[in-house]
Amino acid sequence: MTFAVILLVLLVVACAVGSFVKQGQTFDWYAASYSETAAAWIMALRLNDTFHSWWFIAITAFLCGNLLLCNVFRLGTLIRRTKSFGDAGNAAKRAADASVSGVSDPESVFAALRMPKPQQSETDGIKILYSSKHRIGLWGAWVCHIGILLLILGFGLGQMTKQEYSVYGVPGQTRPIGDTGLFLSINDFRIDLRDDDTVEQYTADVTVWRVPQGSTTEPDEQRAVISVNHPGRMFGMTFYQNATGWAAKVDVTKSGEPLQSEIVCAGEYLPIADKKELVVYFNAFYPDYALVPGEGPKTVSGRLNRPAYLYSVYYLGELLGMNALTQGETITIDDYEVSFSEPQNYTLIQIKRDAFTSVAFAGGVVTMIGLLLAFYILPQSVWAMPAEDGTWTVYAESKKRRAMLRDELERAVSATKLKITGETDAQG
Amino acid sequence: MLRVENTLFTIVMLLYFAAMILYFVFIAVKKNPIAKAAVILQTAGLVLHTAALICRGIGAGRLPLTNQYEFATAFAWGLCLVSLIFVYRFRFPVLGAFAAPIIFLVIGYAAMQSKDVHELMPALKSNWLGFHVSTAIIAYGSFGVSFVLSILFLLRDKAKEGGFFDTHIPSREKLDLISYRSVALGLLFLTFTIITGAIWAERAWGSYWSWDPKETWSLVTWIIFAIYLHLRIRRGWHGKAAAIFAVIGFVCMIFTYIGVNTFLPGVHSYR
Ligand code: HEM
Repeated sequence: MTFAVILLVLLVVACAVGSFVKQGQTFDWYAASYSETAAAWIMALRLNDTFHSWWFIAITAFLCGNLLLCNVFRLGTLIRRTKSFGDAGNAAKRAADASVSGVSDPESVFAALRMPKPQQSETDGIKILYSSKHRIGLWGAWVCHIGILLLILGFGLGQMTKQEYSVYGVPGQTRPIGDTGLFLSINDFRIDLRDDDTVEQYTADVTVWRVPQGSTTEPDEQRAVISVNHPGRMFGMTFYQNATGWAAKVDVTKSGEPLQSEIVCAGEYLPIADKKELVVYFNAFYPDYALVPGEGPKTVSGRLNRPAYLYSVYYLGELLGMNALTQGETITIDDYEVSFSEPQNYTLIQIKRDAFTSVAFAGGVVTMIGLLLAFYILPQSVWAMPAEDGTWTVYAESKKRRAMLRDELERAVSATKLKITGETDAQG
Repeated sequence: MLRVENTLFTIVMLLYFAAMILYFVFIAVKKNPIAKAAVILQTAGLVLHTAALICRGIGAGRLPLTNQYEFATAFAWGLCLVSLIFVYRFRFPVLGAFAAPIIFLVIGYAAMQSKDVHELMPALKSNWLGFHVSTAIIAYGSFGVSFVLSILFLLRDKAKEGGFFDTHIPSREKLDLISYRSVALGLLFLTFTIITGAIWAERAWGSYWSWDPKETWSLVTWIIFAIYLHLRIRRGWHGKAAAIFAVIGFVCMIFTYIGVNTFLPGVHSYR
């Protein structure tokens, strides 16, 4: 177990380091924030990605190995102990944690200790009263360790095999979901605001479908309404309403003739249809635009009072210009005219497939059960043997409550004595 | 309702303060009836504190466990509840005396926070969050009590034989057992807190564990108490080393609670 404790201490140190060193940054970032030497160490020890580093995984693997071996080796002992715990024949040989002698009515001491009714047996001619309870509690640590193993296994396998995609768009749009062969159509997207303009909920109504396969058992289309905290499960994947942003309709005309009309989300590029080297970038959207001296463009509220579109134009990757357009204004580039209109919210939907989440979750539940058994189902056995003077000696054993057991036993014995005295008094 | 809560909160603070003073007097003059009075005052404080939390819940129209003020006052409540359970169960008023200043400190911290009621952002509106935070309160309360017990355990060695501490503090063995019981309660609830938090994160963010600093530090706290358990069962280490780990565990817990928000921003920093 010393090794286990050392591993656990190492894990604590690793977690602390991983939380203090900002994760996922570059050498230059660390060099600027700390120092060149520190940055070199951080990169060498992979402290920039502590929780996925080979050494972190190695510590966890050793921990799992240790736990597994420990549990395997203890299995036999545990089964034996569990059997002998319920066995009166062994009691006489066992070391008691507390005992009281001179008891006249042992059965009522069992009752006062809330033990099940004792069984009487005889070993080598010695009469013995024996009772035990909660022996399942002997398994607490073992079950807890199994739970932890499952938890780490489920998490690790999930990390290795999970697939993640994200899809964004406005109602009416359909997008492919990565390489899954599935498509996601956004039927509706709503943002509910409270009176004070704060967001109550984001809700998307989506359909996931695939090109019909002619299968009669599996559907080709599933629909769900998803909102924050209420993901949808379709085609073995989970769909989360993850974020939102602004989109707008971008119209392009060439010499006055309509050329192109597309929905573009803020943060997206739109190459001009017949001149791909000319690109319009939709930087950001301001629903209630104001140009504050010293601060630059900003939005005063979340309401669509004075919509403005910040855009940039690139030609062959070279920035030609950047500006903000308000509703109705157009950008003119040679023969082309570009305008923005119909601002609306798009939804970003995150999609995950992690077949091992349930394993990790089961691990969590098993860990909890193990802890409950270890801490609250405390095995206890009580036995009584007659002395030569006709009285009994009562013994109790409960490893985890040893320090309290003596008091409890004495209290139980004196309670039974009081009761007996009380009854005698009443009769007298 | 919120005004009633405000008044109750002030009364509760006064009661906890009075209980603390009485406990101090008890330690100074060593008369048992004073300890009894202190325990009664603290119990009265707990009852009104419960009423205050209920008023806040009704006033805000939700479980009152979502911002710094609400969590701090609930933390003080959890500490008071668990310490009283242990005071009554083990007939151990000195524990109350050592817990009282911590309870007062935490409720004082709560009093310094803004009491405004804010609407919740969508991610926070979840029943799992309710379970997550309420179990955290019991876990925090239990670890607070185990901290006090471990300090008492470490102090006990220095107590004069036959002196006040020697006669009013249970034996080393018993103290170790009581402390173990409180760590056990805390660890069970912390495990529940972490699991319900993971379920909530999975539903709200699509990832049940993302090594966010608060998650990481709750794991650190969890592992430290696991170390405590293992040290405790090892013969020879019994007691002292384990008690030191229980103290470190409590410090980590406080860091998870306050320090992480201050030093290591992450998903949980809106708390
Ligand atoms: C390498 C890792 C570990 C090893 C080798 C290990 C080994 C052990 C051993 C040998 C015992 C004594 C069993 C008994 O007396 O029945 C034990 C008890 C226990 N272990 Fe672990 N352990 C490890 C990690 C953990 C972790 C991470 C936890 C998390 C909480 C944990 C929870 C427990 C509990 C609850 C007990 C029972 C303690 C008690 O009843 O007081 N173990 N462990």
